[in-house]
Amino acid sequence: MRTFIISILLFTVSASLAQEKPKLFVHAVLYTGDGNVYTDGMFAFKGDSILYSGYYNPDFDFSNYEVIDASGKYIYPGFIAPNSTIGLREVDAVRATLDYAETGLYNPHVRSQIAYNAESVIIPTLRSNGILQAQVVPKGGVISGTSSVMQLDAWNWEDATVRKDDGVHINWPSMFKRTGWWAEPGKTELNKERDKQLTEIRAFLREAKAYSELKDRKETDPRFESLRDVFTGNKTVYFHANFSRELMEIARFVKDNSIPKAVIVGGSDAWRVPEALKESGLSVIIDRVHDLPKQEDDPVDLPYRLPALLHKAGVTFALSYDGDMEVMGSRNLPFTAGTAVTFGLRPEHAVQALTGNTAKILGIDKHTGTLIPGKDATFFISAGDALEMKTNRVEAAWIQGRPVDLGNKHIDLYNKYREKYGLE
Amino acid sequence: MKRFILTAISGLYLSIAFAQTTNPLKSNGERESQVYYAFTNAVIYTHPDKSFKGTLLIRDGRVVKSGGDVNLPAGTVVRDMKGAFIYPAFIDALSTAGSPEIKPVHKSGPVYERKNEKGFYWNQAVHPETRASDLIKTDDTAFTILRANGVAITHTHVPDGVIRGTGMIAFTGGEDEREKILKANSGLVYSFEKGSSPQDYPSSQMGSIALLRQFFYDANWYNSTNKKKDYNLSLEIFPSLDSLPRFFSVKDKQEILRAMQIANEFDKEFIYRGTGDEYQRADVFASQKTKLIIPITLPGPAEVSDPFNAGLVNLSQMKHWELAPHNARILTEKKVPFSFTFEGIKNPEELQKNVAKMIDAGLPFKSALCAMTQTPAEFLGIENEAGTLEDGKLANFIITSDSLFKKGSQILETWVNGYRHIHKPVEMADIRGNYDLNIGGDKIYTLIVSGDRFSPKAKAALKGSKDTIEILLDAGADLLTLNLQPDKKLSKDSLPQWMRLSGKVNYKSGIWDGKGQDARGNWINWSAIKKGDYKQPADTTKKHNFPPGEVLYPFNGFGFSDLPDTSIILIRNATVWTNEAEGILTSTDVLLKDGKIAEIGKGIDISKIRTAVTIIDATGKHLTPGIIDEHSHIAISKGVNEGTQAVTSEVRISDVINAEDINIYRQLAGGVTTSQLLHGSANPIGGQSGLIKLRWGRTAEEMKFDASPGYIKFALGENVKQSNWGPMHNIRFPQTRMGVEQVFYDAFQRTKEYMAEWEAYNLLTPKERNKKKVSAPRVDLELEALAEIMRKERFITCHSYVQSEINMLMHVADSMGFKINTFTHILEGYKVADKMKEHGAAAATFSDWWAYKFEVNDAIPYNAALLNEMGVLTAINSDDAEMGRRLNHEAAKTMKYGGVSEEDALKMITLNPAKMLHVDDRTGSIKTGKDADLVLWSDHPLSVYSKALKTIVDGVVYYDRAEEEKKRIAIENERIRLINLMLEAKKRGEKTESPKPEKSRQYHCDTLEE
Repeated sequence: MRTFIISILLFTVSASLAQEKPKLFVHAVLYTGDGNVYTDGMFAFKGDSILYSGYYNPDFDFSNYEVIDASGKYIYPGFIAPNSTIGLREVDAVRATLDYAETGLYNPHVRSQIAYNAESVIIPTLRSNGILQAQVVPKGGVISGTSSVMQLDAWNWEDATVRKDDGVHINWPSMFKRTGWWAEPGKTELNKERDKQLTEIRAFLREAKAYSELKDRKETDPRFESLRDVFTGNKTVYFHANFSRELMEIARFVKDNSIPKAVIVGGSDAWRVPEALKESGLSVIIDRVHDLPKQEDDPVDLPYRLPALLHKAGVTFALSYDGDMEVMGSRNLPFTAGTAVTFGLRPEHAVQALTGNTAKILGIDKHTGTLIPGKDATFFISAGDALEMKTNRVEAAWIQGRPVDLGNKHIDLYNKYREKYGLE
Repeated sequence: MKRFILTAISGLYLSIAFAQTTNPLKSNGERESQVYYAFTNAVIYTHPDKSFKGTLLIRDGRVVKSGGDVNLPAGTVVRDMKGAFIYPAFIDALSTAGSPEIKPVHKSGPVYERKNEKGFYWNQAVHPETRASDLIKTDDTAFTILRANGVAITHTHVPDGVIRGTGMIAFTGGEDEREKILKANSGLVYSFEKGSSPQDYPSSQMGSIALLRQFFYDANWYNSTNKKKDYNLSLEIFPSLDSLPRFFSVKDKQEILRAMQIANEFDKEFIYRGTGDEYQRADVFASQKTKLIIPITLPGPAEVSDPFNAGLVNLSQMKHWELAPHNARILTEKKVPFSFTFEGIKNPEELQKNVAKMIDAGLPFKSALCAMTQTPAEFLGIENEAGTLEDGKLANFIITSDSLFKKGSQILETWVNGYRHIHKPVEMADIRGNYDLNIGGDKIYTLIVSGDRFSPKAKAALKGSKDTIEILLDAGADLLTLNLQPDKKLSKDSLPQWMRLSGKVNYKSGIWDGKGQDARGNWINWSAIKKGDYKQPADTTKKHNFPPGEVLYPFNGFGFSDLPDTSIILIRNATVWTNEAEGILTSTDVLLKDGKIAEIGKGIDISKIRTAVTIIDATGKHLTPGIIDEHSHIAISKGVNEGTQAVTSEVRISDVINAEDINIYRQLAGGVTTSQLLHGSANPIGGQSGLIKLRWGRTAEEMKFDASPGYIKFALGENVKQSNWGPMHNIRFPQTRMGVEQVFYDAFQRTKEYMAEWEAYNLLTPKERNKKKVSAPRVDLELEALAEIMRKERFITCHSYVQSEINMLMHVADSMGFKINTFTHILEGYKVADKMKEHGAAAATFSDWWAYKFEVNDAIPYNAALLNEMGVLTAINSDDAEMGRRLNHEAAKTMKYGGVSEEDALKMITLNPAKMLHVDDRTGSIKTGKDADLVLWSDHPLSVYSKALKTIVDGVVYYDRAEEEKKRIAIENERIRLINLMLEAKKRGEKTESPKPEKSRQYHCDTLEE
C-alpha cells in the first residue's frame, strides 16, 4: 500500500537473491501473542501471511529463505489498541477535529468506520511504538454507536478496515453520579435515575430483538437494523462499566437477553466477580492500567495488579488506553503491559493482552493477533523489550506482509532542529 | 414577666433597682411581674461543677439567691420541683439561627468588578459592615428549636462571605424584637467561603486567604494614611469591629490550621467554629490553646449491608463515625478550650442521645455542661451575665425531669431572660401505674398506664383474663378520656363496639372517676383506683464498650498511628546512583544520620555507633536520590487556579496544602520525595507555588520545604487567553498572545513604580516622615510578590508551549530586568533551545504529551533530549497525580526518544529539578551532608520492571513496600470491625448514610471547571 523506508533496519542481509525469497528471522526473542515466547525464535513470512513461527531449528532447510540474524532483537505481533478513538479525533481542544461522540442517547446505527481519518498525524507516532491495529469506537450517550477494527497504515478507511462494524457499545448506567464543582468536588451520590435508565435500555433491546424477528415490518428502523446482528452473534455488545455490582447486573442482562457475544470494557472490579463474568462468557477490556486506585483505601498498586488478578481468576482480558489523551497516549499502551508484568503478570501473557486476546475479543483472531503460520504477517521487530520504555525501539514493521513506514512528524521535527543546531 | 435594659449588662447591676424598659408603659393596667419565684426541692446546678438540693429564687429575670436553705421573701410564688433538676440554660457561641438563606448567585458569564455601589470594599465577599441585627429574623422557627433544646442565648450571624459582618447575641425567647437582642455587633465572623457574592474573585480558597490578608493590610493603611483618595465604609468601620471577639467558621480541621496562620501573621485571635474532626489534630490545637466551637451533631453509620457497596465507603469515613463521639472527650483530655454549638440538632431527644454518646465515650458530665454554658459565655464575653446561676446573673435556666442527658430525661421548661417557655405540660402529674378499672359497677379490669410521662399509653385486661385490650388514652392536666372495646370476641359481621369514658383525676388519692357511654349509647359510671406505681422498664439495649480504633495521621487507612521518626539507617551493598562525579557506585553502603547522608563508602563500620542502627540489605538493589516533581498539583485544597483575574500573584498554594491527600502517599510509593505544587495556568501571572517534602502524616506546615526560596507560576498561550473556556469568556484581557505580552509589561511596570514608592518612603527617617506628613504606601500583596521576583527572592516557573511566546517572555524579562527561572511544559523548547540557554532558563517538560490542544501540535517526545543536548537544564515533570508516581518511567522515555544516557535521564527527575528549585544544596544527589531523601529500587531505577521498595525523606522511611501487605490487612481488619459495629448500630435504629465513592479531583494545570 504505502511506500516505505527501512532506513533504521540494521539487519545483515545474507544474500542478494533476497528480494524474491521469503524473509526468515532467526535468533530473536519471539512472542507469538498466544501466551508463548520463544527465547531463541525463528520466524518467516511470505506475501501477506506467516510461514513459520517457533524455536530456532538448525536442521531447517534455509536455502529458500532470506535469512536474517535477529539476535538480541524481539519480534511481536502488531499491538492492537482496542476501545480507542484513533482516527476520530486529532486535537482534543479543537472541536472541528473531533468526530467521536454523536449527540443523543441511543445511536447504535452511528458507525465509526467511515469517520476514521487514515491520514491522522497521530497514527504514525503509534506505529513507531508497535501499535499496528486499533478498534475505533464511538463514545458518549447510552448506546454510543458501532465500532470497527482498523489497521494503521492505509490510504483511506476502506483500505484500513480489518473488521467492519464489529460491535455496539453500551455505557451501562453507573450506580453513582458525581456532584459538586471543580474547586470543591462533592461526594459522588447514588444515581437516582438508574432504574429508569435500565428500564429504557431493556425496553430498547427487547424491542430491537422483536423487530429483528418481525415478518411484516412496515418501515425500516435504522437503529434497530443496526442491532439485528447483536442477536445472531455477528456483532459483539461492549458494555462499558466498572463497579462490581454493575458487572454482575450485566452478566445477568446478557443471559436474559440472549446476547451471544458480549464484552466488558473498563472492569476495574472484574477481579472481584470473575465467576459471574465467566458464567456469562464475558471477557474484559481493561480501560487503562496506568490509573489511580478508585478508592482511597485500595492498595496503591491495585490498577497495576488488575491484569495479574484477572489472569489468576481465569478471565480473558485485553489492555486499552482509554481516558485522558487516549489517542496520542496510545503509544504508551505497550508500557502499561510492562507495568502489568512488574505487578505479577508473565511477559508472554502481557503481550497476549496486547495481541492474541485482543484479536479474540474483537473477533479478528481468525486472521490476526498471533504469529501462527497461516495468519496475517502483521508484526514488528524491536531492538529491545518493547514493553520497556528504555528499550522499545521498533526497527521494522509489517502489516499484512506490507512493510510499514516508521517515520513520523516527531522524528521529522527532531531531525530538522538537530540540523538547525548543527548536531550530529 | 420582667424586662431589663440592655445597658445593664455592661456590669452596672443593682440587685434592688428594677431594670427598665424603653417601651412606653401600657395604659390597660398591665404591669411587669414584680413577684419572686422560688423553685424548691430541685437538684440545682448553679455551675457545671456545683450542685445541691434546694431552692432557686428569682425576680425580674435575675437570680436573687440559690442554696440548700433560702429564705423565701413575702410575695413569692413557690413551685415545688421535687424530682426535677435545674441547670443554667445553654449558650450557643455561634449559630445562623434566623438568617436568610444564602444562595450562590447563578451567573451567565464572568463578573470581574463590583457594580453600582460606592463606599464599600471592592470585593463583595468582604463586608464587615453587615450587621446580623439588621437581617436576622428572631421569630424564626430556629429559635423555637433552640429553646426546646434548652438554649437561652445564641450568637447568630448571616453566614455569607469571607468577612461576613458582625453577629448578634440573641435571646431565644421573649416577646418584643428589641428585648431579644442581648448585644448587637457582638463579634466579627470570618470564613473562607465566598458566599453569595456574584464576583468571580475569589474562586479558590487560596484566593479567599489572599483577599482576607489584603483586606487587613488595606484597613491598616486606610486608617493610618493621609493619602487616601476615596471614602470606604468597610475599611473605615473595621478597626471598631476588630476589637470585638473574632469568629472563624471553617469546613474542616485543616482550615483551622490555615486560619491560624493568618491569625499569627496579623496577631489576631480567632475562635473557630469547627466541624467535629478536631480530634484528628488535637495536639496542634492543644499546643496553641486554640478556642473551638464544635458541633453536637454526629455522623450516622454508613450503609454497609452490601459487601460490594461497602467497598465504596472509605475507612476514614467509618473511623470518623466511630471517633466523632470521642471528639469532645479528646479535646477535654488535651485541655483544648471548646464550646458546643447546637446547630443541626433537631430536637431534645437528638441532643440527649448525642451527648449521652459523648459521655459514654468518656466525656465528663461537667465538661459537657461547661461547653454549653460557661465556656460559650466566656467566648462571647458575657460571662458576668450568663453561663452560671450565680446570684445576680440572668435567670436563664432549664428544668429537666431527670438528670440532664440521662435517657428519658426531658427538658420541661426553658427560662429565657425572665420568660418561661413550657415544653411539657409540667402541671400534669405523673399518672402512670397500675389501676383497677371499674366500669358500670359490674366489670373490673386491670389497667396498666405506662410509656411517656406526658403522653402515657394504656392497656387493660379483664380481671382473671389474659386477653389484652388496647385503650386509647387522652390524658390532660386534670381530665382524661378513655376509648376501648371491652368485648374482643365480636363476630366478623358485627359493627365495632366502642365504649367512651370521660373523667377527672385526683392526684393525691390516685383515683380517677367519671361517666361514659357504652357502644349502644347507654350512660354508665366508671372509676379507676391506683394499685401500684409505675416502674421504668430496665434499659435492655446492649451497650458496647469496645475501645475505639486509633486516630491516624493523616486520617485515612494509610496513615500512621505513631509517626515514624528519624533513626540511624545503614543501607548496605547497594548500587548507588550518586548524580555526582562518582557516577554509579556498585556494592556501596550509605549511612543516614539525623536526617542527613552521613557517609558513603564500601563496608562502612558502624561498630562505634552507640545507638541502634537499622540495617537495610540492598544487595542487588539500586539506591537513587528521591524524585523531585517540578510540576505537580497534588495535595491542594479547594482550587488550583485563582484565574479570575489576569494577575493573581497574591495567592499562595502554600496556604492551601492538603496534607491528607492520599496522592501524597501514592507519590511516595513511586519514589517521589519532593513536589512543587503549582498554581494552574488560567492566567498570565498565577499564584505563588508551594514546595513540599512528602512527610506523610505531618501537617501542611511541617511538610513545607524549609529554607527554600519562593516560586511563582506564570502562564502563556491558550489557557491564559481563555481559548478553550467557552463562548462566555471573551472579555477578560488578554484574549490574544499580543495581549499577554502587555499584561506582563504592565504588571512589571506597576511593580517598579510600587518598589520606587516604598523605597522613597523607606529612605525617610521617622522624623522626616512626621515632619513631611508622609504615611506608608499601601501594601499590595500582588505587587509584593512581583517585587520579590525583581529582588531575586522569588523564581518563575512559566507554563509555555509555542516558541513565539517563549521568546516573547524572555524579551519581556530581559527588558524589565528579571529572569525566567524555568519554562514548564515548554513543548516547543527544542525550537528555541539556543535562546533559552542564552537567557539561562531551565526546562521542565513532559516526556511525550501532545495533541491535546492546538498549541501542542508541534510537541515532540525528543524535546527533553534535544534541550539536554543543547545544554539547557532539563527536567521531566508530571502535572498529573498518576504519572507523578511513575516519573522514572517518564525519564526512561528520554532514553528511547533521543538516546539520553541513563544517568542524565535520572538527573532529569532528581538533580536537575533540585537545581531549578534552588535546593540542590539540600537534595537531588547522594552526597555526604545532603538531606537523606532517597529511594531504594528493586531493579534498575529507569526500568518499567522496577518498584520503589523504600522511600526515605529526611532519613525517615515514609514508604515501605514490605509493609504494604500488612497495611492492606490492617485496613481490611479495621474495616470489618467497623462494619460489624455499624450494622449493629443500624439494627438499633440509627439512620445510615448511603455509600458515596470518593472521587477526589485530580488537578492538572488546565483544570478550570467541569
